[in-house]
Amino acid sequence: MAEEKQEKDTGLNFPKEITRRLGGETIAFCYQCGTCASSCPVTKVTDRFNPRQVIRLALLGKREEVLTDGAIWLCASCYNCQERCPQKVEIADVIYALRNISISEGKIPNIYIEFANALLSEGRIVPISKFLEKKRAEYGLPPLKPVGMEALRKILSATGFDKIMPKKGEPR
Amino acid sequence: MEEVKVGVFLSDCGGQISKILDFEALTNFVKNIQGVTLVARGSEFWRGQGLQTLVDAVKTHKINRVVVAENIIKISEIAIAKAVEEVGLNPHLVEVLDLKDHCAWPHRETPSEATEKAKAMLLAAIEKAKLLEPIEKAEFPAVKSVLVVGGGIAGIQAAEDLADMGFQTHLVEKQPFLGGLAAKAGRFFPTDDCAICVQSPASDLKTVTHTSRKCVYRSGFSEIPNLNILTNSKVVKVEGVPGNFKVTVERKPRYVNENKCVACDLCTSVCPVEVPDEYNAKLKTRKAIYANTPLVYPSVYVIDESVCKFYECAKCVEVCPTKAVELDQKPEQLTLNVGSIIVATGFREYDPSVIKEYHYGEYSDVITHLELARMIDAFGPTNGVIVKPSDKKPAKRIVFVQCVGSRDRRWNPYCSSICCMISLKHATIIKSAYPDADVTICYIDVRTTGREHEYYYEKAREMGIKFVKGRPAEILHDPSTNTLVVEVEDELLRRIVELEADLVVLATAMIPSDDAKELAETLSIELDSDGFFKEYNAKLRPTETKRRGIFLCGGATFPKDAPTASLHAHSAAVKAAKFLAQGKIIKDLKVAFVNEDYCGDCEFCPVTCPYGAISLLPTGNGHFVARVSELLCEGCGICVGTCPVGAIELSHLRQNQISAQMKALLSINGTSKPLILAVTCSECGHAAVDSSGMALMSYPANVRVLKVPCIGLIQVQHILEAFKAGAQGVMIVGCKPEGCHYEVGSQKAQKKVELAKVLLNAYGIEPERLEMFNLIYIEGDRFAEAAKNMTERVEELGQIQLA
Amino acid sequence: MTSYALFLGCTIPARQPHYELSARKALKKLGIELVDLEGMSCCAPPPLQSIDLETSLAIAANNICTAEEADLNIVTLCTGCFESLAMANTLLKEKRELKARVNKILSTAGKEFKGSKEVRHYLQVLMNDVGLDCLRQSVVKPLGKLKVAAFSGCHILRPSELLRFDDPERPRVFDTLIEALGAKSIWYKNKLKCCGGLLRGYADDVALAIARDKIVNATNAGADCISTLCPFCFLTLDLGQMLIKTTYKEEYNMPIIHYAELLCLSLGVEPKELAIDFHKVKIDKVLEKIG
Repeated sequence: MAEEKQEKDTGLNFPKEITRRLGGETIAFCYQCGTCASSCPVTKVTDRFNPRQVIRLALLGKREEVLTDGAIWLCASCYNCQERCPQKVEIADVIYALRNISISEGKIPNIYIEFANALLSEGRIVPISKFLEKKRAEYGLPPLKPVGMEALRKILSATGFDKIMPKKGEPR
Repeated sequence: MEEVKVGVFLSDCGGQISKILDFEALTNFVKNIQGVTLVARGSEFWRGQGLQTLVDAVKTHKINRVVVAENIIKISEIAIAKAVEEVGLNPHLVEVLDLKDHCAWPHRETPSEATEKAKAMLLAAIEKAKLLEPIEKAEFPAVKSVLVVGGGIAGIQAAEDLADMGFQTHLVEKQPFLGGLAAKAGRFFPTDDCAICVQSPASDLKTVTHTSRKCVYRSGFSEIPNLNILTNSKVVKVEGVPGNFKVTVERKPRYVNENKCVACDLCTSVCPVEVPDEYNAKLKTRKAIYANTPLVYPSVYVIDESVCKFYECAKCVEVCPTKAVELDQKPEQLTLNVGSIIVATGFREYDPSVIKEYHYGEYSDVITHLELARMIDAFGPTNGVIVKPSDKKPAKRIVFVQCVGSRDRRWNPYCSSICCMISLKHATIIKSAYPDADVTICYIDVRTTGREHEYYYEKAREMGIKFVKGRPAEILHDPSTNTLVVEVEDELLRRIVELEADLVVLATAMIPSDDAKELAETLSIELDSDGFFKEYNAKLRPTETKRRGIFLCGGATFPKDAPTASLHAHSAAVKAAKFLAQGKIIKDLKVAFVNEDYCGDCEFCPVTCPYGAISLLPTGNGHFVARVSELLCEGCGICVGTCPVGAIELSHLRQNQISAQMKALLSINGTSKPLILAVTCSECGHAAVDSSGMALMSYPANVRVLKVPCIGLIQVQHILEAFKAGAQGVMIVGCKPEGCHYEVGSQKAQKKVELAKVLLNAYGIEPERLEMFNLIYIEGDRFAEAAKNMTERVEELGQIQLA
Repeated sequence: MTSYALFLGCTIPARQPHYELSARKALKKLGIELVDLEGMSCCAPPPLQSIDLETSLAIAANNICTAEEADLNIVTLCTGCFESLAMANTLLKEKRELKARVNKILSTAGKEFKGSKEVRHYLQVLMNDVGLDCLRQSVVKPLGKLKVAAFSGCHILRPSELLRFDDPERPRVFDTLIEALGAKSIWYKNKLKCCGGLLRGYADDVALAIARDKIVNATNAGADCISTLCPFCFLTLDLGQMLIKTTYKEEYNMPIIHYAELLCLSLGVEPKELAIDFHKVKIDKVLEKIG
């Protein structure tokens, strides 16, 4: 596993790996103009995240750094950067791709484990408490219809989603 | 019908190739071919004693067709053709083949096989020669007159060159005044001298200019003989052919008599109509009757007919001291007969209002370079003072934003090439005049590639102009202080900064002139994917277009600075002059022609001809036939490849000549390998084969080469015919699709090959026996490799088994 | 009677039944029938897209299949759901390879995405199906003196190439709909900027800083309330003010109200029918202003 990782960490392979991922296809168009950084609401308040920086590190092949320094989890997915990029780099989608890669290798923040487990068990990322379900009738809201877990489970199995998730209690 | 007598001349290239090829066997072989009346062997036949021998044979009527196996094909071809023409033989009855680079050299390791191949090559040349027909020259008129469309830097200089040379030159400009963009620019980098000066053509006529340049109003260029300047005019229709165009020009009325106006300006003082002055970037107003300052040419006022009240007012008519105002003037249509046309329509600024995050058009203090140039210009709307358009207060803090709408895949993907220098120019001018101005340039890259441009950048830094590497996301406005705020990441500092500015200048993109599309259609020339006029070949024909006689120069092909525009203009003038210098166009009629009885009215060939040489003529009973213009036809044969009924042929390569060569090349094997026919275009394809021989590559002798002008000529029938004639494999070798010397031939051939593969499959022949190769001259090694691989492949497939 | 399949998503039924309540009431009054279908799971918003984009597309497509099978277009309340479903719908309709890839996954569950239906946000339903004129006429209690800081959030506008809801730099739809109720949609600094909501749970300090910025800007512009479309924005700004109080020691008392609630109020629905106790920041001032 270590040798594999080392091999992947050369400058040439990481960008290619990203372009082959859903969402990451456009990363190589970036010419580091910085429009994304100055459009970003997160970059404005903290220096822990800068989309231009993330893409720069990725294009330089710094795989380990990108996937472990935590910056990629600070994107608020507001899409302001993608909207304004003069090279039509799908920046927010690239960050999703980077997150996807990180999670597929077992590096996943706790809160996402919670979302995934909720999806696997109930078909929702935010579980609905029994209390609230009962309250619906009080407000005159119709009961919630079933989400179709059978079909959903088949889909989650087909994409391997159920295998991506570490067992409960295994944080990054 | 005269008896055909073929003379065959075998050059052994100073004894070089006879070391490999058995010349005695070749001589004996050729002697016995029917129609051959003379065989000679020697060291060279394209000059010296050898050429004399050849010429004598023609002179004494021993032969009337010439086949020469020679070296350095093009030069020898020309020399031999010239020599035989001088003694009365049509120069197109000569066929030259290359036994050195196409046979002896590449097959030197298998001399006996090489000799057998040489026999086949000679047979093919002889059989073709027997079928050759004389081709005549034709003369077409070349009117010694030129039309230049566009009166900016490039147009004026090109027009002046041609007028000096004695050509009747018409300079047509759609605006009422000459000057184009240069008239508004103020100064040009990197010398910071007047833009007006650079517009003035430096006439070589000593009566006009003695120095390297003159201010345009002092240059007297409008008095140069042969120069006819038509302002307020547009080209509306172009008919005719190269060398003899009939151009219809529409002149809008000026409403002021050019011969009477003394430019006194009294008319503007009484005119009641005031409108925003577009020339001055709407920073001030002008009247309905006006002239731009500084005045370039003509020194005559003009009335804007869209806002003038005409006879409801007529105050200007009353006040004019020379009665120059003529409200009754009407539009005029002129027809010009010219031999060449030069397009010099320049470029303009992109309107950045679509880039909404920059609020151009919304915040009046966000301006473009042209608008800033008008402010800097002492003749301009603010008399040279830099102010905020919103409140006219002086602008102390100025931020330039680069790459606005350029290098942007949402708007214009290319780099507009001059904006970095323009920003540096404006920044340094401002900083010189106001040393305590706070000037910042926000950039992605600084591009200062021309001569002396880097020193300009240095100077800017020395003057204390600030550079922020980062492209602003948004320009905000603080209404309480009427200040603009530029939000940008300073990448080198790694922090987001908010730059306060009185004025934000957008270095907006440079795009083609707004009527480029219309003009391209009128002239039937091409635009590139960015909308600029496309030159025929940027490397070797930078001022020509696919249409003979129509040339391009200046910013019309791509944004460029003044020195480059000048270069381009003078170059186009030379080309236009060359084209018309003799007063006539002489052409060998190596062209396509239509057998009108067969023409099926399908209308495919006019569409595929890259030169627009084919038109459809009505036959009277509701049908059409195709007719090829002998002047425009380039003889590529793409139309031959297109015609579904074989109604069109090339005069210099008839179908029967192709068939005869094919049969002959495949009639003798002499190797243990299966025969492969390589059909090559006469450009890159043949060059790749040439170079594989010149570079002493090796490939097997079972590969036989048949040359056609362009592989676009190939029809599916040709491929099937090749297999029928004995080829076990067929290679189609041509230019790369994006670099086809005849524009589209290579791509067309690709389609035929794909179709042929389908048919071959249906016939039970393996489609892998047919392959297309796109090679260029320096890829001779790849040709050799391809020939070897193809041979191996076909060997593995074995003999063709037809049911 | 126009019918739509109502897509609720997760957050609204889990945390904000008042949003669902007001939306159902308002749309019913305006003649839109909302059908609850079985087989609508989570839409696959950014948290799931962060885990795996392919799965998210498949889940979104699965939801759309449910609507296709019932021959109904989808209407969403949450703008996050809108982005997720509308983006998937457009991508799969326009990119053949992607559609084939997703359908292969769906086939394991016996489903097939056909691309026959549309995904709309209820604002689009109000603009196109109900119409501005009808909306204006249905208003019985115009919100006359109310100054609303409209905050549509990110996911209804961007990525504009795929969502095609409104001009991303100069949006007008939301403001127009607010003004149709008789209120005034005011300008405030950084109106279109994100609320930072998606960072909650991972980087709460950053999220709070961004949210605070929004509250401050709306307050400085003199807004009576901030109107939202997204339940995440609502939580971030409403609950967020509680956190701002404890973290920054600042109190703004800026009511956060979903547009659907304003709509209901203007259509004459009584506040007590709208479960307003779900608001952490009390909206009494707004109710007073409306009268």
